[in-house]
Amino acid sequence: MIELKNVTKKFGSLVAVNDISLRIEPGQFFGFLGPNGAGKTTTIKLLTGLYEPTSGTCLINGHDVHWDPLPAKRSFGYVPDQPYLYDKLTGREFLYFVGGLFNMPSDVVKQKIESLIDVFEIGHFIDKRAEEYSQGMRQRMVLSAALLHDPKVLIIDEPVVGLDPRSARVVKDTLKLKTREGVTIFMSTHLLEIVEELCDRIAIIKDGRIIHEEVQSESRKFDGQLENIFLELTK
Amino acid sequence: MRELLLVLNVKAASFLKQVFRLNWQTFFKNLSSVLIFGGFAVAMFFFSRSVTAYLLEQAHIGQFLFHRFLSMLLYVFFITVNLGNMIVCYATLYRSQEVSFLMSMPISHAKIFLIKFVDNFFYSSSTLALMGFSVLLGYGSYFDLPWYYYFFTVFFVFLPFMLIAGVVAVIVLMALIKVASRIGVRWLLAIITTVYLSVTYVYFRITNPVQLVQEVMKHYPNVNEYFGYLDPPLVQYLPNHWVAEFLYWSVNGNYDRAIPYFSLLFLTMLALVVAAGLIARRFYYESWLAASDARAMSGPKRRGFRLRFMEFGTSALFKPQTDVLLKRDFWLFIREPSQWLHLMLLLLLLMVFLVSVGSLELNLTQPSMQAVAFLVVFLFNGFLVASISLRFVFPAVSLESDSFWSVRASPMSLKKLYWHKFIFSFAPLLLVAEILTIASVSMMRDTPELVAAAAVCSAFVALALTSLNLGAGTYFAVFKEKNPIRVASSQGASLTFLVSMVYLGLVVTILVVPLSRYFESLILRGSSQSAWLFGPTAVIAMLSILVFTLSTTIGLKVIKRDY
Repeated sequence: MIELKNVTKKFGSLVAVNDISLRIEPGQFFGFLGPNGAGKTTTIKLLTGLYEPTSGTCLINGHDVHWDPLPAKRSFGYVPDQPYLYDKLTGREFLYFVGGLFNMPSDVVKQKIESLIDVFEIGHFIDKRAEEYSQGMRQRMVLSAALLHDPKVLIIDEPVVGLDPRSARVVKDTLKLKTREGVTIFMSTHLLEIVEELCDRIAIIKDGRIIHEEVQSESRKFDGQLENIFLELTK
Repeated sequence: MRELLLVLNVKAASFLKQVFRLNWQTFFKNLSSVLIFGGFAVAMFFFSRSVTAYLLEQAHIGQFLFHRFLSMLLYVFFITVNLGNMIVCYATLYRSQEVSFLMSMPISHAKIFLIKFVDNFFYSSSTLALMGFSVLLGYGSYFDLPWYYYFFTVFFVFLPFMLIAGVVAVIVLMALIKVASRIGVRWLLAIITTVYLSVTYVYFRITNPVQLVQEVMKHYPNVNEYFGYLDPPLVQYLPNHWVAEFLYWSVNGNYDRAIPYFSLLFLTMLALVVAAGLIARRFYYESWLAASDARAMSGPKRRGFRLRFMEFGTSALFKPQTDVLLKRDFWLFIREPSQWLHLMLLLLLLMVFLVSVGSLELNLTQPSMQAVAFLVVFLFNGFLVASISLRFVFPAVSLESDSFWSVRASPMSLKKLYWHKFIFSFAPLLLVAEILTIASVSMMRDTPELVAAAAVCSAFVALALTSLNLGAGTYFAVFKEKNPIRVASSQGASLTFLVSMVYLGLVVTILVVPLSRYFESLILRGSSQSAWLFGPTAVIAMLSILVFTLSTTIGLKVIKRDY
């Protein structure tokens, strides 16, 4: 479960996130939409502990990300908007590194890597150094790292940027599978068709404030209307 | 010309905005920079004036010898500026993202080269320039020179001298990059190191300071005469010699003989700048492509260095978090040539220092001279430890780089990460400091209590310098910068180095009087009074613990800042 309670983030006089409150239930796939500079990435950085909120609290599975960070961080996997890796490490070394940070024994990491190689088709470049990777390869490696420790929560910032159609399909299928397994997903994206295809619930943020929330269910589908809603609200 | 001015204007505006940003943090950062750099400049000024006065009035070495020593110092300065520019130029001219962007714009390659060279020259030479100008002011104030002399010398002699060093560096670099694509970077680095060490060795062999002093002193007390016939022919072609000659003749009021040296410097500088522009027009783009290709091809071909127990996925040496951090840091270090190459150079310097101390007769019979000799050796040990700390400990947090998100978003305590960095920096530095101190002090005077006191002091100096560099490196962390050399030569790093020098100055000040008393008791009365060593050791320990506590508190606080 993810919960934001009256979260505000200021950078000097700029209010990037303004008194946001959200509650995302276990197993829910949440789409976080908004124009450029609306506060999506800042919200995600607040949720993952990369930024400290000016006020308010961010809870992951009941743990405050800032006051009780380690249990909170143990339970989520994070995919940043820019898939930065250590250029001088290979993909496999990076995955071992991340596994170690999550205190996973190396034999368990080894098994997980083998399964992720199949899922994300990273076998042909996993033993090359990251300095040789394309954007898509980096993105797939970062997604693999986020799933390595079987997190209960996934926080994803623009997951399919730079991916070719085939890789994007793999990512979408994986995310669908994770939702069926009960994983809570918080995803920020500009690609509205992905949101319509995958998300149970959306929120639109503009100038740091949530201006719209909507739920998609079997009885109430977006049916291609999301683009109109988005364009109307973010005018 | 318009696009050149536009890019330079944008860069200047961005620099000014960064410096004059209106917030308290920037204000205090700039204020502390001004205070520390200003204090350092003032200290250099007084040091230079006192040394000039001492050598000319007390030691009576005469103006000719004085300016020849100055020429040798200027040679070291030239090589420092030259190497500094060459190292930083590689990052700015060949690896910077900005160059990739500019290359895609309709701007000529020669102009891109010029923009980046100017950027690089000011970036890598500003601290050295400040040092040089302060020394020049101190020197000039001894001779009571008018204000316009400084103005002229700084802008028309000193700046051209530094520019010659910078331009030569960049010309050599362009040639080397072309060659590197054929013979590989490792071989190239080995060749550069050998060539620079050999040139420096040959220079000091040719100038032969000891023989020069003996020849001049034969004419004592008429040592102020000009003994130009003693200069080996080769040195007359070197810019450091021209600067020294200009200074010699101008302070003696003989401008007719000074002006040719100024003209030579200025014209050489102009000729080299034009030559660099022409070479850049022909070769810069080509060498940039060669460097890009070399980078792109470097990975897949190499099998690389292997060390089974340090490989990921093998049995863990420590708990998983510590184990992977250690292995990551190890491989990032091994796979970055500038890291291990610099380490090898510094270790070579340490060996040269120890061999030099071993070959000198430093077991002196005069207590005050023995104390001075001890302090000089101890200070140099401290200086080496400070340099290693600055180069390797200061960038430690910045080297987390853009990938720091992977640690920040993991269940790894940042406190634990900080202590990990501290322990794995302190342990090797402590080892180096202890080897240096025990070896050099034992070679000087093998008195157990003196060696023990020096070893304890050194341990505390290593503790203070490691914590200072790690704390300051965390405070001034630049995660966007991938090049550790640029991190270690940033404004924050220069500031940290100056604070390290102030700390070492305090350590030496604490030792001066008690050490003189100790050597008096040891040499004159034949009984060593160890009590003279306990007091200063305890004070140094307290000072170092204070530095450690302050630096670590700051480091632990700022590592949690927004990323």
